[in-house]
Amino acid sequence: MATAHGYWQEQSEIFALGALDGQELEAFERHLASGCEICAVYLRDTRETLNLLHHSLRPVTPAPGVKDRILRQIADDKVLPISTARPKQPRRWQRITGTIAAGIIGVVLGGTYYNYRYSVYSSVVNLLRDPSTRDLPLYGTGPTPSAKGRFLWNESGEGHIFATDLPPAPEGKMYAVWTIAQSSAPRYVGRINTDPNGQGGLHINFPRSEKPVEVFAVTLEPHGTTAAPTGPMVLVSKPS
Amino acid sequence: MPPFIDVDVVLRSEGHTLGVETLNSPAKLIRQAAGQDREAFSQLYDRFSTLVYSFAMRMLRVPQDAEDLLQEVFVQVWHQAGRYDEERGSPEAWIMNITRSRAIDKLRSKRRMEKSFVLTDDPARAESTENVESSAAESETRLTMNSALANLPEGQRRVLELAYFDGLSQTEIAGRLKEPLGTVKTRMRSGIHRLRDLLRTKAT
Repeated sequence: MATAHGYWQEQSEIFALGALDGQELEAFERHLASGCEICAVYLRDTRETLNLLHHSLRPVTPAPGVKDRILRQIADDKVLPISTARPKQPRRWQRITGTIAAGIIGVVLGGTYYNYRYSVYSSVVNLLRDPSTRDLPLYGTGPTPSAKGRFLWNESGEGHIFATDLPPAPEGKMYAVWTIAQSSAPRYVGRINTDPNGQGGLHINFPRSEKPVEVFAVTLEPHGTTAAPTGPMVLVSKPS
Repeated sequence: MPPFIDVDVVLRSEGHTLGVETLNSPAKLIRQAAGQDREAFSQLYDRFSTLVYSFAMRMLRVPQDAEDLLQEVFVQVWHQAGRYDEERGSPEAWIMNITRSRAIDKLRSKRRMEKSFVLTDDPARAESTENVESSAAESETRLTMNSALANLPEGQRRVLELAYFDGLSQTEIAGRLKEPLGTVKTRMRSGIHRLRDLLRTKAT
């Protein structure tokens, strides 16, 4: 047992560093997932040891505005309770009022949708009127070489992306739009949906970067991926 | 804000199981944040934001990227506070683990993107990117003289830095240093053992 764990403990040290890779990584993850308490404890202990490393860095205080942004973001989060109550059969008067209400909601939603579409069209028209707006072609790549697109954007960070011949994203996936400034990590700016004809668009207000944006890219990602692109590029502003 | 006493960290550093908790201990703040307590979350941010940001700056090197990472980490802490398990590590280790994972994702995707564009677009830019990496590597030792790393032999310090701060895997490090994989592994483990000894010495 001790000898066997000599090997796994050595692996757990490299795993804690984040440096284990390939088959060794897969094997260690399997071992850990099997519920090995010895390695779990040793791994925890090694991670605590590695805390020494970041304490050795010169402290850099973030700008105060970041905390405000985070607090604003979490303030917008809503936790929705999950209802466990069984749905009841509606009574007749409930069905009638329900039908009327649905009609009203339909009209309101239709109006809201129209207003939304109108606001998007006006934003695009405003972009086209702006002499500083640039028009960048987007090229299909990876799994969608025949896809095409255009990206209209100006220096103030407003833009609109159009995609054509880009099939709808498969179930559980989404098309994520990224901006890439020189020597900076890609930044997520939104997701684009396309219809069965492969048409889609997204109006974007992306934060200004200290460095000019060099590349716009669209990647196919699992839902919710916003930290960094992991999937294949499907549209990119530079031909590959 | 009342003075903060890191009793739980001290206890953990000494190898004890957590048994005492201060009024504002990070573990308690996380539990309160899990109950949607924004004030507790705010205190948690005050406690760890400099650590996270310093680390993000060291790894990503661009203030804008480091700020983005800081934001992402704390939003994740807010959403996943309920999943934090004290048995699996200290609050600091948990938060820094989130930070490192996200930073490594960003670094690796940045490298993938750079590689993709550089190789296909502009050979001149490939050279300039290499220059950026080299100059960054030269200036990377923004470490205090008393740091734990400064106490390590150069070979051990180098592999730990490349893995921990640059997000390179053991194979990538061996390739970059042109050393056998076994040597790299041995140096990593020896470096960690020395850090562990140092931690024990500090705790006694």
